[in-house]
Amino acid sequence: MTGFVLRRLGAALLVLLALSAVVYALFYLAPGDPARLACGERCNPQQIAQVREQLGLNDSVPTQYLRFLQGVLAGRDYSGGAGLVLHCDAPCLGFSYQNDRQVTELLLERLPATFSLALGALVIWLVIGVGTGLLSAVRRGGLTERLLTVVTLAATGTPVFILGLLLLMAVCAYLRWLPFPTYVPFGDDPEQWAWNLLLPWVTLGFFESAKYARLTRSSTLETLAEDHIRTFRAYGVGERALVTRHAVRGAVAPVIALSAVDFGTMIGGAVLTESLFGIPGLGKTLIDGVRVVDLPVVVGVVLTIGTAVVIAGAVADLLYAVADRRVALA
Amino acid sequence: MSVLTTGPVPAAGVTTPAAGTGRQVWRRLRRRPSAVAAAAVLALLVLLALAAPLFAQLTGQDPNAYHDDLVDSARGGVPLGSFGGISADHWLGVEPGSGRDLFVRLLYGARISLLVALGATALQVLLGVAAGLTAALGHRILGRFIGGVTDVMIALPMLVLAIALTAVVPPDFPRPLLLVLVIGVLDWGGTARLVRAQTLSLRGLDFVEAARLSGNGTLRIARRELLPSLAAPVITLAAIKVPTNMVIEASLSFLGVGVKPPTPSWGQMLSSAQTWFRADPAYVLLPAGLLFVTVLAFTVLGDGVRTALDPREGSRLRVGTGKERTT
Amino acid sequence: MRQSQISRRVAAVAVSLVLAGGAAACGPEDAADKASAGGGPGASGSAPQKGGTLTVLNNEPQSDFDPARLYTSGGGNVPSLVFRTLTTRNREDGPAGAKVVPDLATDLGRPNADATEWTYTLKDGLKYEDGSPITTADIKYGIERSFAAELSGGAPYLRDWLVGGETYEGPYKDGGKGLDSIVVPDAKTIVFKLRKPEGEFPFLATQTQFAPVPKAKDTGVKYEEHPVSSGPYKVAKNTGDGETLLLERNENWDPKTDEERKAYPDRIDVRSGLDAAVINQRLSTSSGPDAAAVTTDTNLGPAELAQIGDNKELASRVGTGHFGYVNYLAFNPKVAPFDNPKVRQAIAYAVNRTSVVNAAGGSALAEPATTFLPEREAFGYTPYDPFPAGKTGNPAKAKELLKEAGFADGLTITLTHSNAQNRQTSPEIATAVQQALAAAGITVKLEGLETNAFNERRWDAKNTPGFFLSRWGADWPSGGPFLAPIFDGRQIVTNGSNYNHAQLNDPAVNAEIDEIAKLTDLAAAGKRWGALDKKIGEQALDVPLFHPVYKRLVGKGVKNVVISDWTGVLDISQVAVK
Repeated sequence: MTGFVLRRLGAALLVLLALSAVVYALFYLAPGDPARLACGERCNPQQIAQVREQLGLNDSVPTQYLRFLQGVLAGRDYSGGAGLVLHCDAPCLGFSYQNDRQVTELLLERLPATFSLALGALVIWLVIGVGTGLLSAVRRGGLTERLLTVVTLAATGTPVFILGLLLLMAVCAYLRWLPFPTYVPFGDDPEQWAWNLLLPWVTLGFFESAKYARLTRSSTLETLAEDHIRTFRAYGVGERALVTRHAVRGAVAPVIALSAVDFGTMIGGAVLTESLFGIPGLGKTLIDGVRVVDLPVVVGVVLTIGTAVVIAGAVADLLYAVADRRVALA
Repeated sequence: MSVLTTGPVPAAGVTTPAAGTGRQVWRRLRRRPSAVAAAAVLALLVLLALAAPLFAQLTGQDPNAYHDDLVDSARGGVPLGSFGGISADHWLGVEPGSGRDLFVRLLYGARISLLVALGATALQVLLGVAAGLTAALGHRILGRFIGGVTDVMIALPMLVLAIALTAVVPPDFPRPLLLVLVIGVLDWGGTARLVRAQTLSLRGLDFVEAARLSGNGTLRIARRELLPSLAAPVITLAAIKVPTNMVIEASLSFLGVGVKPPTPSWGQMLSSAQTWFRADPAYVLLPAGLLFVTVLAFTVLGDGVRTALDPREGSRLRVGTGKERTT
Repeated sequence: MRQSQISRRVAAVAVSLVLAGGAAACGPEDAADKASAGGGPGASGSAPQKGGTLTVLNNEPQSDFDPARLYTSGGGNVPSLVFRTLTTRNREDGPAGAKVVPDLATDLGRPNADATEWTYTLKDGLKYEDGSPITTADIKYGIERSFAAELSGGAPYLRDWLVGGETYEGPYKDGGKGLDSIVVPDAKTIVFKLRKPEGEFPFLATQTQFAPVPKAKDTGVKYEEHPVSSGPYKVAKNTGDGETLLLERNENWDPKTDEERKAYPDRIDVRSGLDAAVINQRLSTSSGPDAAAVTTDTNLGPAELAQIGDNKELASRVGTGHFGYVNYLAFNPKVAPFDNPKVRQAIAYAVNRTSVVNAAGGSALAEPATTFLPEREAFGYTPYDPFPAGKTGNPAKAKELLKEAGFADGLTITLTHSNAQNRQTSPEIATAVQQALAAAGITVKLEGLETNAFNERRWDAKNTPGFFLSRWGADWPSGGPFLAPIFDGRQIVTNGSNYNHAQLNDPAVNAEIDEIAKLTDLAAAGKRWGALDKKIGEQALDVPLFHPVYKRLVGKGVKNVVISDWTGVLDISQVAVK
């Protein structure tokens, strides 16, 4: 077990290191001078030179990358003017050119929005997705199943921004059931938080629900085909009871494990959903950062996303192993 | 790696028996009305896309020609007339602001969607099969290395890197080609893993063993014995990848990093239509509907192909349980 | 100066002036609007009263809320509630609002004979939020710290104009010596020594860098969290780097010393980071606190205008504004074939300003332009149209000129533009130009660049594209900051950001710019800026396309809407919610 965890951890670190190096290199090829970007409009050459010096952009790219890694592991100091030295604690992801802020601080600020989005979607897919899946497993061959097949196919096919746009159009513009969503932090007003996130939740949750319905259904059916269930059935246990009391166990492990992966991916930012609904989360931060070539922000977000995905993958494996003892740890 | 992050179909390690002759598969596919309908829709779309210049001539509309007289300049450039300015000349109305013809632009947009989706899929399959075969048949260390790279490729946040890449490439590089390359190069991990697993299990089978014993080289074995057996799972995977890639292209264009104006693309049209859903709903619904129908048709067809190639899997409903969703 | 839009800081500028400039300066054909501007949106009901909370719904956060870092026209909107400056803009509707008036100082400044030295005296009874007196030493310190690299962001004039400004590195690195060209003989007097005559210095003194900063309270980059107020409001809460900003009354502000700021509401609640669509939707619904809401940075878009259409109630809440701004086609005459004046003229004739205006959002959001200067008297606007293209272009005349230039069989050129979705230098405008030129036999290839790359190309004197979309906005309402950076040969910058795209270095033009700068009679200067604009325009170094117009929605309960020709936006210091 320990060996397994260590191996996973080592592999994960390697993936993250590779990811950061790739993004770092990529952005040094990108057009745009970070010093000029940080300096703002109508900077004169002397000023740009001062800013370049202050940001340490005169050093070679590998040196800068090493300093970045050092910041992540040990933190860094910055001059803040007026004799002020700003300390950026580890994990320090650098300093945004565009926002004049520490990236770590910026990301921590954006994380709650992304987390809120993912959380609501998780609840929806667990309730609706798993519920529908079980229902269709009970009523095999019925209308429910056929409907499920159609909806699932449609959900697989629809780009998320189309559903989001159509929902916005119908619910906010025509029916006027909800105002146009604006993200309100949970701490400010929990009720508004929920109302404003409702549409994004439904948008994301819808797709995931379809996927979970299929997964639940197929796992349940696999279990139903197993010997001990046949025995129960032979003893005259009803189909509904079979599914809800026994076969459902077969779905628990894969659903939990896949949920962990999906939740991790969403923490990494549902870029399109966040952009469409204007949710100030990681995904939107990333898109904005890419548009203005704000390297520290982009590297920071990509690393955060990578970390979330890798952790989720590891958690999924562990959960799977715990929930389903039959799977040996590879 | 994780049980669940494996490629979507079929689970690694599962040996797919020869899927039967091409004719059998064809017959099975034809028996599914949904697949036939999807194929018909797609055939029509491909035809329309190919004939786009013809339609441009027929309607007398250049996809990029402006019509100042068809929009109400004082009201933000909303098309004059009803349903987004539908008329005998403009079958589906005109674009707000510019007055460009929507019908012809949608047809030209179909070309981009199809081209990028199919091109990227072909590239993914090519890279995936090459990497998978090399990993399975090459030297042990090479195999390990490729396996590691594959794992990294699968773990990469695909959309994120695609956005980053499209931003750094010089603007004079042809965009559709760039999209094909970016999507293709970033997303072959799943195929590679599938091919590697299939190959490893096939390698132990009698007919491959027999070929090796009769003195055939690795390359020859790969070509003569393995590739035909790999065809079924790879085609299945490709069929599922096409709609996914189409959605990625639309997403990138929607985010403003896809093809460049004035080239029309559905995702881009949707992105500029975003604000118009109240003032000119037709402008939103047309590209949205078209994209939806096309992607759905590809998905249904893909599902049909999978079932036809592997009838045993028919009831398992696996499409859409992969990790490829773009959120 | 305003051009890039994506940089936050720039956007902040763009916000405080340009986009934010959204509401009301009125053009000649807008006489009706002008008359109604005072009684325009929100005019209904009783006289404005003190009290209540004004909500500001904005897109861009008030990040860098530090007077050294802000790039504003006339001191900005929200910043001007907290920072008082030596002079400020006149808070009146229409053209009168384009005047500069005293703020902390008793007058607009006393120049010496050649306008190279400006002396100001402070009013009596000026205090900070903590009750301590405001001194000229603090104004000097405030300007000095704007030179620090840590606090980059402001306009370039201080560096360009003050003696020694080009090499000064700010108070954190000067060993306490300070900048010698700012002299403080006593606590009430301050003298500025300039390198050359600058008759428009009083306009510069409206920028936030002229706000006092007490040295003892300076916390470097952290000062923006709670800058010390000299205005009617102080910062009560600043979270998320200016994303939400709560301003409360500054009890030590004495209205008797401030004729410009009305300060009716008790609190100003600034909420930013909102999508444009959400802001306009909330203002239009005006439910709850949104009834007492305004925006200082978000325009109505074309789709929203189409929607408002014939809704009279909504239309009555829309304010119209003009800010000194021009969008144009720029040439680099060093690149063939744009070295040939006939080719440039042909393009000027071929342009279809109706499609360009439609691409920019329609006639409600843009006015076709044939002059570089905006159509406002304060800028010295003098009408001219040397290459009359009519409403939709004159391709026949363009073909004729091309033939004379030796391109009888047509011509293929590249137009560089940005991919930003700003309807200014964006693909929509570029494709509209492309279509119009096609009719004259000119094939245009489009080169779309991401915003930063686009700006760097555009501003790089060594590598300027031959033909591209560009734009320029005024730092203050006068011809000076409009024409000098674009056409003064001595402002060609070879190793930094260059805005003289055509790299025009005409001794006659340079001399005239110097002559006008000596004038302290701003009306006389205006006439000469107009004449100079016309003279330069005849050389076809650029093709003016349009001057943008701003349409701003206000909440139902907002009163006393004042929109000047300086900012073009609703002046937040005049608004009442009771």
